Formats: sequence, C-alpha cells, structure tokens
Amino acid sequence: MLEWLLEPLAFDFMQRGLLAAALVGVVCAVVGCYIVLRGMAFLGDALAHAILPGVALGYLASGGQRGAMFWWALAAAVASSLGIGALSRDGRLKQDTAIGIVFAGMFALGVALISTARSYAVDLSHFLFGNILGLTTQDLWLTFGVGLAVLLTVFVFYKEFLVLAFDPMLAATLRLPARFLETLLSLLTAVAIVVSLQTVGVALVVAMLVTPAATAMLLTRSLPRMMLLAALIAAASGALGLYISFYFNVASGAAIVLTCTAVFALVWLWRQARRPVKG
Amino acid sequence: MFLSKKMYFGVVLVAGLLLAACAGAPVGPSGGLNVVATTGIVADVVAQVGGEHIHVTVLIPAGADPHAFEPAPQDAAALAGADLVFANGFGLEETLQALLDAQGNKVVYVSDGVEPLAADDHHHHGEEHHDDHDHEGEDHHDDHEHEGEDHHDDHEHEGGEDHHDDHDGPDPHAWMNPQNVKVWVANITAALSAADPANAADYQANAAAYEAELDALDHWAAEELGPIPADQRILVSDHGTLAYFAQRYGFEVVGALVPGVSTLSEPSAGELAALESLIREHGLRAIFVGETANPALAQRVAADTGIELVLLYTEALSEPGGPAANYLEMMRYNVNAIVEALQ
Repeated sequence: MLEWLLEPLAFDFMQRGLLAAALVGVVCAVVGCYIVLRGMAFLGDALAHAILPGVALGYLASGGQRGAMFWWALAAAVASSLGIGALSRDGRLKQDTAIGIVFAGMFALGVALISTARSYAVDLSHFLFGNILGLTTQDLWLTFGVGLAVLLTVFVFYKEFLVLAFDPMLAATLRLPARFLETLLSLLTAVAIVVSLQTVGVALVVAMLVTPAATAMLLTRSLPRMMLLAALIAAASGALGLYISFYFNVASGAAIVLTCTAVFALVWLWRQARRPVKG
Repeated sequence: MFLSKKMYFGVVLVAGLLLAACAGAPVGPSGGLNVVATTGIVADVVAQVGGEHIHVTVLIPAGADPHAFEPAPQDAAALAGADLVFANGFGLEETLQALLDAQGNKVVYVSDGVEPLAADDHHHHGEEHHDDHDHEGEDHHDDHEHEGEDHHDDHEHEGGEDHHDDHDGPDPHAWMNPQNVKVWVANITAALSAADPANAADYQANAAAYEAELDALDHWAAEELGPIPADQRILVSDHGTLAYFAQRYGFEVVGALVPGVSTLSEPSAGELAALESLIREHGLRAIFVGETANPALAQRVAADTGIELVLLYTEALSEPGGPAANYLEMMRYNVNAIVEALQ
C-alpha cells in the first residue's frame, strides 16, 4: 500500500500534478458551494467556454507563453462575466439567456481565432482538455497565488455571500449591494475556472465547481462545514484521480472528474438508502 | 434591417457562389495540370516530378500539424478544382479523410505500395523491425504496469492495407525513410503521366533525377548516422514519427511522449512515468520532438530527466528559407540534429 502511494511521487511531474490537483480542488470547491446554492452551474460552464478567445489571443500575442495565456484567459472570463451581468441587468433578458448569448459568441470567436492560426491548434487543444502533467513550477506558484486571493476574498465577504445565497429577501432587506456581490461572485467563478484550466481543461471544469460542492451539500446543511467537506472531497478526488491516471492509463483530467463523480454517486446512493421509505 | 427570408437566402447564396468562384479559380499558369497536395512534404516531391508542367497547391500550411488540420471551405474548393489530388494516405490526413473520399478517383495516395509498419509497433517496442541490433529483447524486461494492455502481438506487416478508417492501421510517417519516397515518386510519376501523357517523358526524366538525389540522401544519412555508438541508437520522440527512420538506419524507438502515431491523443500519468523510467533506464541523452508537437510536455520530461530536447522536422516543412524548406533539406536537418545529439 505504501509503495503504491510512494511510487508515483518519484516523478517530479506527479508531485507537481498532485499539488495542482489539490490546490485547484480546494479553490473550485469553496467557490462551487456558492454556485451550487445559488444555482449558477450554467454560468460556470459558460464562463469556462468563454475563456477560449482569451486563450487564443494570448497565444497569438505572446507566442505561446503559458504565463501570458493565463492572464489573457482571465481577461476573457472577466469580460464575459461582466458582459453577462450587463445584459441581464435591466431585467428584459433573463440571466440564462444572456449567458447563452455571451458564451456561444465567445466560444465561436475562440474557434475562429484558432482556425486563423492553424499551426497552434494542437497546443490550444490542451486548454480544452487540460494538461496537468505538463505544469511547470511557475504554473504551480501562479495557481497558488491566485487561488489564495480567491479564498481570501471568499473569507472577507463570507457573510454577505451567505445571506445572498440562502435568503435573497433578507439580503434586500439588509440593503446589501446585491449587484456588486453577484458580480464579485461571478468574477470569483471566472478566476477559479482559469486556475483549473490546466488541470482538467475547459470542457470538464464545471465538474470541479459543482460536483464536490453538491456532494458536500448532501452531507451537511451548514455552509462552513459544506465548504470544508467540499474542499476535502475535491482535493482527495484530485489526488486519487491522478493516481488512477498513473496506474490505469486514463487521461488525467477525465480521471479526476470521474473520481469526483464516483464520490458523489456513492454519497447519493448512501443517502437514498438511509432515507425512510415513503408510503 | 429586416430581410425577408427569401432575400436572406439570396444574399447567402450569392456570397457563397462568389466565395466558391474565388477559391476555386485556377491560380496556376494556364494549360498545366492543377494539382493539390495535402502536406508540404508531398507537395515538394510532387513538384520535383512535375516540374514546370504542373501547379501545386498545398492544403496544410508549413508548420501545421497534418493530424489536426481543419479544412476550411476554401480547401474544399481547392480540392474540387484540382485535376489531381496527392495525399499521403496511411491515415495521416485524419481530419481531411471525408473530404478526400468525396473527390472520387482523382485522389492519389502516394504511400500506396510502401511496406507499412503497423501503427502500434513502436510505442514501446522496436523488435518487429527486421534488423537485429544488439539490444534485441532488452525492452521485454521492463514490466511497467501498463505494458501489454493493447499489444495483441500481431507481428504481421500486411495488417492494414486500407488506410481509410482503420485506427489500428499503418504508421503514416513513411517519408522518414527516403527509400519509401522513391515509391512516392513512382506513384506520382504514374499519375501525372496518365493525366498528362504529352509530358510523360519529362515526368520520367524528373523522377529519375530526383530518385538519384534520394539515393544520395539515403547513402549520406547512413554514413553520417553510422558512427553513433550502439548503446545510443535509441530514439524517443513526441509521437510515433520515427519508426521508418529507425528501421532504415538501425535505431530502436523505445517510446513516445504521446501514445500512438497521431498527435491527437494525450498520455496518461502512467504512460508519462513509464517513459521517464525508460529514459533513465537506457541512459538516453535526448528526446526528439517534431515541430508540430506541443512543446510543454516535452520540455517537462526533458527537464525532469535532465536530457536534451532536440527539435526535428518530421511532419511539416519549415517556412521557405527555413532549415527544412524541402524534403531533402528536412531529412538532412534531422540527420544532423540526431548525430549531434547522440554522438
């Protein structure tokens, strides 16, 4: 058993990958708790796809430097989340309509940009499916720094987000700056997504946001405990997923997401089994 | 602002027709054969044989990855307007295959007649290759957990003559052996002569001259690569691009960054670990990466194992004026790079 755990650690890329999977898992899970409670999963998925033109532009502008692409992706995500906010603000368009318009438009822009720079298409595909095995130490520090900033922001605005998530009426009564908080939350979502790009990729990132948080929600009703549980589940699934990728030759991003899904399924079945049968 | 449905369709139709007309217009000198080649390497060889009698258009631009190329409407128009289409075949043009199939029998697969190496031969093994060098069998010892999950031990070489939709089919990178390019030349000469009998004599003369150059290249490469010591005649590449090269010049391909012969797959953590173990075990000095590959993963492997990352041109030529602007230059560049890294 010990050997089973230690053998992969002999490889530098596994050490970096495990750290990254855990870091990303924690950041996504904590932000994901709000997303699950507020029913914003579609926004998460949309923001992940809306990043693509940023990645493409970043690639073209920087000649493929990963660090630069990170900031471009972040800019695209922030622009999309602000755009969605602006479109749905006056209430004529519902938020999910605005999300649909912005996300599909941005994704198409990304595909169009990539098709103009054909030789880079392969490299960009790594952003779609993640590239956790190709992380550098600098990537790891960047993930750590940005992730810490997200967690600090959540800590500072914890109560406000809590009220907004559980009781929008109360939030209105308390005259909380709801619009500001919602924008901030979607910005945090955008940042969490960009951070997890390299581990699981655009296509699967919504699972990192939603699945561990949903699993935790099945187990507890208190938000702090839910966040802690979600973070633990996500970090553990990330590490376990990477071990599975190591021993069973499955693509790393998919292995991580499938592990999260399996944990959710187990918890859900356990809850079902315990629930008293209704006549 | 409001177009009626009919008007809308009209506008789209006219725009589409204009686009098709522009793209499909023959750009070459009038009278000559209008020929489309899928990759720059195929185009170069076709141009060597065709000389001034043909005009060659390349679909996949320099530096681009032929496995992942996404055809645009202009490319479809170029194919439709061509007198002849030359493709590598052996499954190289994965994303173009449907479009090629739609062109009917004006498509010539230049690798037809090359003795194919099976695509899954050279992930971890070199032993199917006929030449016995002295590490024969060495790679049987490494029992990594993943070994053998998809090796069905089919050692036959005739396994995949049909290159259309067979994923376990032949390894497409046949041009990495100049002798195979002579097969290309024969196929190209036959096709051009049939389409343009008036100039057949010229095509044959050009072909003979180019075949002599290919033989010279082959001879030179064998001589340059000869002095590399036996324990260094081991290659690791980005994906399976070097099997034909290894077979011709007595090397062994022990591994690749990306499993399989296509760039369109990703290694798992286990496969990457097995590769790094192989590199350490064999004491390799370099990993050879094609210009179209994703460099990030290769850089990590090279840095983690402390070996050199050497750039080769394996799937696409460089821009004109670059170090590998045509096939002969490309092969010379690769041979020099390998000699420099391993000697």
